[in-house]
Amino acid sequence: MTFSIPGGCAPLVALGLSGCVMLAAAGPVAADSVSDFYKGKTVTIWVGYTPGGGYDVYARTFARHWSKHLPGNPEFIVKNRPGAGSLLVTNELYNILPKDGTAIGVIGRGMPQEKLLGSDQADFDSSKFTWIGSANNEVSVCVSWAKTGITSFQDLRTRGMIVGGTGEGADTDTFPKVLNNVLGTKLKLVTGYPGGTDVLFAMERGELEGRCGYSWSSAVTTHGDWLRDKKMNVLLQISTEKHPDLPDVPFVMDLAETDQARQILEFIFARQAWGRPFLAPPGVPADRAKALQDSFMAVIRDPGFIADVKKQKLEVNPLPGPRIAQLIARMHQAPLEVVNLAREATNKRDRIQISKVALKEMTVKGTITDIKKGGRAVMFEGGGQKGELAISGGRTKVTIGGAKGSRKQLKKGMSCEFVYAGSAAKAISCS
Amino acid sequence: MLAAAGRAIVIMSDPLRLAFLSLGVLIGLALGVIPGLGGIVGMALLLPFTFSMDPYAAFGMLLGMGSVTTTSDTIPAVLFGVPGTAGCAATVLDGHPLAKQGQAGRALGAAYSASLVGGVFGALLLAVSIPVLRPVMLHIGSPELLAFAVFGLCMVSALSAGTPLRGLTVAGFGVLLALIGADPQTGTRRWTLDTLYLWNGLPLVPVTLGLFAIPELADMAIARRSIAGDSRVDSRAGQWQGVRDTFTHWWLVLRVSWLGSALGAIPGIGAAVIDWIAYGHALRTEKRAAETFGTGDIRGVLASEGSNNAKEGGALVPTIAFGVPGSASMAILLGVFLIHGLQPGPDMLTKHLDLTYSMVWSVALANILGAGICFAFSNQFAKIAVMRGPVILPLIIAVLMIGAFQGSRNWGDLMALILFGVLGWAMKRLDWPRPPLILGFVLGETVERYLFISHSRYGWDWLGHPIVLALFALSAWGFLRPLWREIRAASRVGTVLSGYRRSPRLDANTAFYLFLVALIGVMMFYAAGWRLNAKLVPLIVGGVSLFMLAVSFLHFTFRTSPDRDAGGVAAVQARRVPMDLQVADAGLDRRTVAVRARAFLGWLLAYLALTGLIGMLPATFAFIVLYMWIEGRERWGLMLGSAAGVTLFCYIVFDRVLHLAWPRTLLRVLFPDMGEFVPSL
Repeated sequence: MTFSIPGGCAPLVALGLSGCVMLAAAGPVAADSVSDFYKGKTVTIWVGYTPGGGYDVYARTFARHWSKHLPGNPEFIVKNRPGAGSLLVTNELYNILPKDGTAIGVIGRGMPQEKLLGSDQADFDSSKFTWIGSANNEVSVCVSWAKTGITSFQDLRTRGMIVGGTGEGADTDTFPKVLNNVLGTKLKLVTGYPGGTDVLFAMERGELEGRCGYSWSSAVTTHGDWLRDKKMNVLLQISTEKHPDLPDVPFVMDLAETDQARQILEFIFARQAWGRPFLAPPGVPADRAKALQDSFMAVIRDPGFIADVKKQKLEVNPLPGPRIAQLIARMHQAPLEVVNLAREATNKRDRIQISKVALKEMTVKGTITDIKKGGRAVMFEGGGQKGELAISGGRTKVTIGGAKGSRKQLKKGMSCEFVYAGSAAKAISCS
Repeated sequence: MLAAAGRAIVIMSDPLRLAFLSLGVLIGLALGVIPGLGGIVGMALLLPFTFSMDPYAAFGMLLGMGSVTTTSDTIPAVLFGVPGTAGCAATVLDGHPLAKQGQAGRALGAAYSASLVGGVFGALLLAVSIPVLRPVMLHIGSPELLAFAVFGLCMVSALSAGTPLRGLTVAGFGVLLALIGADPQTGTRRWTLDTLYLWNGLPLVPVTLGLFAIPELADMAIARRSIAGDSRVDSRAGQWQGVRDTFTHWWLVLRVSWLGSALGAIPGIGAAVIDWIAYGHALRTEKRAAETFGTGDIRGVLASEGSNNAKEGGALVPTIAFGVPGSASMAILLGVFLIHGLQPGPDMLTKHLDLTYSMVWSVALANILGAGICFAFSNQFAKIAVMRGPVILPLIIAVLMIGAFQGSRNWGDLMALILFGVLGWAMKRLDWPRPPLILGFVLGETVERYLFISHSRYGWDWLGHPIVLALFALSAWGFLRPLWREIRAASRVGTVLSGYRRSPRLDANTAFYLFLVALIGVMMFYAAGWRLNAKLVPLIVGGVSLFMLAVSFLHFTFRTSPDRDAGGVAAVQARRVPMDLQVADAGLDRRTVAVRARAFLGWLLAYLALTGLIGMLPATFAFIVLYMWIEGRERWGLMLGSAAGVTLFCYIVFDRVLHLAWPRTLLRVLFPDMGEFVPSL
């Protein structure tokens, strides 16, 4: 394995995959204060899932090798706090766990979108977390148990498939809904299994026909025998990029029939890029955050880690923390219509027609950041959202200071309440 | 198969592997004695050390440790009424009364030998069933898992002997408590009181310790005597008596071993109810058990202890054969498979059969070794029962508090411990059975989960599955037969007409009834606003519980109580007190009891307040010294010595070795930049 690091961003050939590493030497002063802080301390990695699962295995493998790469060499321990598809730990990381760099989380890759997708139980703003890095650009698959006779993606559209889920909000629940809503598959979701292993067991005994939202890396590690013996068919790969090991398996992005459907899929499945995310609470001191991010990438180059990872057949295709932060910031700027349709697609259990969907009215408070086309469109920002809304002369109700107004009176910098559906404004009332 | 079993024995008899196994056993025994700690903590602790071992040694050490926590957990259960792990709460019911009668040695001896038989038998059952494991397990689908959980739940009626209506109400309340937290179907946060603590549901550890341990300690403080009172204490001789008891009741021990290992193999049943199911089984099938269980019947100890050790062998089944962990500690064991590049499933029963058998032998060997060590070293334990209350109590309370905190390492655990302590004490005093609550609490969630899965997968067709039908029939029989017996007994005792009182009965129990009515009522009021799938089970269970509660309340208020008023031979025949520990106050009047109970609660709260202020370790030291001085006027040497000893012990075990978190203190919140000069601050 070789590494070359020209100009900060380098191709990293790790286990046959590629990634991009940002490297910069931390100043000696910063390093000293970081090492003073961490000396003798314990860094706890909180895993939002039960022991033994994919996320947990990554966390434990990192924990074994991290200490020697972080200044001060703190001890790393892993604690499992399963609950609500890791929403519990994500909320705890944001709200109650120490913000000094001694608490790290490993959470579900869907968590950063949780709030945008309409969860009222997500008490966090994902763009404010301290993103440390992701261990893998995850490719999820839909699999069927071979005995069912379901062999191709097309079967999902015609015959349908019974899939198992582990609870509202988990990939195993969200992915089937999205595929039904956007690609017109006929997946039937049976949810409430205690964990992924239970879903697979149910599939093996014939209770379920398949599973959608199963990490390819996890499938290889935990059920390589099923793949080897052709007991399980891989029907679809879900990610932002195709997996090199799966050249013949249909790729979800290729199946979108319209541009809009593709945008929706890209928005929802952006999570695959940061497939195994490690993060710290918001407000970790900058020098420690940087030390954590750098040491995360250093662990990945550690020969001991590489050997460990090989032994466990884990896939490692890292994404540095700052890059995750960029992607999440970009995700927050997605067009409103796409966000709304994605929200519908992840929440509705039955199939919806993207073109005919009745859009829910949304209300957001914010400020006008720009006026376009002489008042026919307005840019706004607020409530964790930003975007462009079309203003109709007749149908959009404009109120200014309590009195009825017109779209021409709207000015940059006004603070208003926007009521909209999709990207069309229904009412704007400004003070 | 035999060849593989033989090869596995040879592999395991390698001295180094045996040494690792023994090390695991020693650690397991130590973890079992400390309430709140168990196999899971040990697994997580030992896991990293196994990476460099070969898989035989790794599994030997971890299984050795996991197998024997349920051997040594008996020690605090018998001596103090404090279950060492959640898996031996049923042992308290008869083991602790035996200790109070000076027979702690006998109870321990019986428990060790039953554990030994159970553990070895569980392993053997696993060994012989290996060829048929997978085909059999493939017939256990979600409807069957549901039926098993219902079967376990139906044991409440046997455990409600004497007070059936109260028992059923309490079981329903237990189910409601189990449903606290985020619901898997809709994600609704049910009864979480807007705290993050309750998102994941109430943890089992503080609930069990609160319900069973705190009331015993409170009554010890109220009676102001040593555990054994004035009885003579048996030690060595008693242990041998206990061993003989095991052989006298060998058929019972074998039955509960079988039950334990079979139930251990069913994911979702859990160690915390297996002992109760076995106890209920013994209660129903053993002669005259209904009259003597709960008062120091050795058969109660045998039933509980034989089953909880057998469970480990059973729990290996789904883990090895399918990669589905049957318990939390098995989930960690699953990690060992991955580390060593092994895949649970068919390969383990063919290609890696040697390894599978080596696990079986590890469990068996560990049980023999564990029981042997307990026998050899616990000669002196029985004598703890004669130590003065004020000396022993603060030490137990301190360890108990720190143990309860391991539920989820949250302040909520300490609150839950105290709240459930108060609840448990009230239930014990007012003749409400506690075992049904634990059963409902552990199985409630499993029942709801698999009910939804079964329905959404099969509609109502699953009701026709043969295993489901058989289990439901068995459940109905198990549920209705004890109830029917109760009804018959009740109708023999008093005729319907003459049974009414002239004036309604009002006492402390009235207040408890009203409290329960209000609590369940409020819970249902909140539940009514949830989405359908989230509120369905809570409303049904809540409704049934309220109905039972109302009938029981009317019965209590307007009927004469036959055993106290009528007396007579017929009343003695039927048990009229709950299947639970009875209060022994040594003739104290109610005023004294109330004053001392309040003082005890005061001590617990003071300990919590100190913990919040100055950190748990300094609080422990201060609490022990203060308690011994104020309650017992002990010698300074004894006070400082034991306080320092316990504090140091807790520091080393919980802080240095296990790296467990401490409760956050006010000082830390006020001065976040303060250095860590005192551990646990």
